Amino acid sequence: MKNLTKVFVLTLVSSVLFLSPASANTLPDGKELVKRVNALDEGEFVTRKIHMKMIDRRNKERERFTVSLRKYFGKDKKSIIFYEKPSNVKDTAFLTFDYKDVIKDDDQWLYLPAMRKVRRISASDRGDYFLGTDFTYEDIKKEGKIAIEDYSFVTKGEEVVNGINTYVVEATVEDREDAKDLGHSKVVIWIDGEINLIRKSLFFDLKGNELKTVTTSDIRKVDNIWTRHILNVQNHKTGHKTIFTFSEVDYTSPVPDRIFTKQALKKGL
Amino acid sequence: MICWVVSDSFAEEVSWTDNAALTGTLETEWAGMIDDGSTQKLETILQPELNVSLTSDSSLTGILRIRGDAEDKLEPGSPYQDNRSTASSSLYLGDNVDVELRELYIDSYFDDTLLRVGKQQVVWGQADGLKVLDVVNPQSYREFILDDFDNSRIPLWTINIEFPVADESLVQLIWLPDTTYNDLQEPGSPYAFSSPRIVPQTVPGFSTVILDATKPHKPLSDSDFGARFSTFLDGWDITLNYLYHYKDNPVFYRQILGTQVTITPEYKRTHLIGGTFSNAFGDYIFRSEIGYSTNSYHVTHDAMDSDGIEETGEASYVLGLDYSGITDVFLSAQFFQTVLTEDPPGISRDQVENTITFLVEHNFANETWKAEILLIQSINDGDGMVLPKISHEFSSNISIWAGTDIFYGDSDGLYGQFEDQDRITVGFEWGF
Repeated sequence: MKNLTKVFVLTLVSSVLFLSPASANTLPDGKELVKRVNALDEGEFVTRKIHMKMIDRRNKERERFTVSLRKYFGKDKKSIIFYEKPSNVKDTAFLTFDYKDVIKDDDQWLYLPAMRKVRRISASDRGDYFLGTDFTYEDIKKEGKIAIEDYSFVTKGEEVVNGINTYVVEATVEDREDAKDLGHSKVVIWIDGEINLIRKSLFFDLKGNELKTVTTSDIRKVDNIWTRHILNVQNHKTGHKTIFTFSEVDYTSPVPDRIFTKQALKKGL
Repeated sequence: MICWVVSDSFAEEVSWTDNAALTGTLETEWAGMIDDGSTQKLETILQPELNVSLTSDSSLTGILRIRGDAEDKLEPGSPYQDNRSTASSSLYLGDNVDVELRELYIDSYFDDTLLRVGKQQVVWGQADGLKVLDVVNPQSYREFILDDFDNSRIPLWTINIEFPVADESLVQLIWLPDTTYNDLQEPGSPYAFSSPRIVPQTVPGFSTVILDATKPHKPLSDSDFGARFSTFLDGWDITLNYLYHYKDNPVFYRQILGTQVTITPEYKRTHLIGGTFSNAFGDYIFRSEIGYSTNSYHVTHDAMDSDGIEETGEASYVLGLDYSGITDVFLSAQFFQTVLTEDPPGISRDQVENTITFLVEHNFANETWKAEILLIQSINDGDGMVLPKISHEFSSNISIWAGTDIFYGDSDGLYGQFEDQDRITVGFEWGF
């Protein structure tokens, strides 16, 4: 019996030592895959409507109707979200400046209509959930891209997700403080190598437990740019779900610079 | 040709209607007194809002407020509104219902210059709950400072121009020909001011006559105007502000003749200069606001004083620190100080006065529940107020809440004067 066990262990070790490197050699480097995701064209500017649906574990739904705009200013990115409905959140707006220079802290402001004041928000709490959704501020800011400097990447293999061939990349947050800021320690991402978009992400909390799964669907070209139209987040800890549905996506109508200001944040669209 | 123009403008009118949106809220709140359980208010507010996109660069916004209070204790009867201009007066339908045009303005962009003309709120400052620069619009003290400032601030007819002067820098110019001032409550109302800090006291053995206020009323010569420069520099949000305005509370001048004291309320002008600064440092947000008023007026108890009022300059500032390093928790602390440039004898306040505030907010269940508690404490007088509240977003359109408003301290204090007005509130809001 002991000999049988030794044979099994040796076989397993051999598999790990010899088979995995051979497989890894045939797979693209994880960091390169993520770089390709980050390099995907997303247009110089975009305007779109986002319907946000939040569903609790008892299937009770809440809705938000918003308009979101984004524009690149050189390599820096500015984004703004205006809440249009329902009335109790109408005129709420969120502005973010995402700087290419990773040394420079991003800047964020929130306009709360009940106070009629623009409030500065700490950009260090990247893992806090965004206005009652299951997306974090980081998710909202990155829009399907990844802060490459925060992670180390390993390509684990290939898998088919909803009929699409994907590469499975494990992204581990390297720094403990960054993990606390982001609210997760690791993400497994399924990258569609054909179009360089993330089809699915599974986040793990700081203790290594499953935190949430983000799935992307209805991906199609708009103005010749691959565009995600439905994002679905399932929070495994709370049972809460969030679905973002994008519509009226427009990469061609110019967006004035004045939209990305605190004045516009207060005034609205 | 005339027919063509008429036809064209009619076509445009139709498109305005197509671009109109009517939204609003219906809110009901009950307030009951903690000491005897009696109802202080049972109020329902319908606030419809109309937004019309006129062209790609201009829009119209109108907000109406229809308020009914079954109790009619907060403002018994129909107030005289002698503090308001005719254009900004409310319409009282009996004792229990009032209708107010809250806002009505047109926004127009000319390149990057924004022109907002009409009845509106102009909000300055970075402080929460305390005002240094947020004095462009007057305020209703119907519920002291318990109501949201958005509700209690009195919108004014204003011309407001904002234009960029450099990258991330903006100049705002405002002109307010609307001579409307604070809604102070009449004696007998729950939140009528009684503190000697604000109103002159009766003197035993003397009869007191209070005359009507001499309110400024000329739209041109009595108008207020101001300017603000705002910029974003190395992570700092900075504004520099200037306002030439009438102070929104009247000054109560006193005259003694024989055994009669005559009080003459009079509105006085001042220059206000100041600025705000805020920045993020990790999980912390630092906020500050500073202002200097050239003319500040204070009631004096010095019987030898000729008019019962001492005039001095006054500097005020707020230092605030917000912390959001704990998930779903927001902590905020503020230190507020006012300093008189002189220390006249007999006035009902100290030359240097300090107030602190603490706010704790905790969100639960994807922000469908929020528990919060706000403390405002006067260091000098030892009085203050504590406002705990819990609110729940029941559905996308319905919110419910319950809270208590507790005052404590000496009845001469700004907050302690309402020590007998501790109350419980319960309410709901439906949005449409």
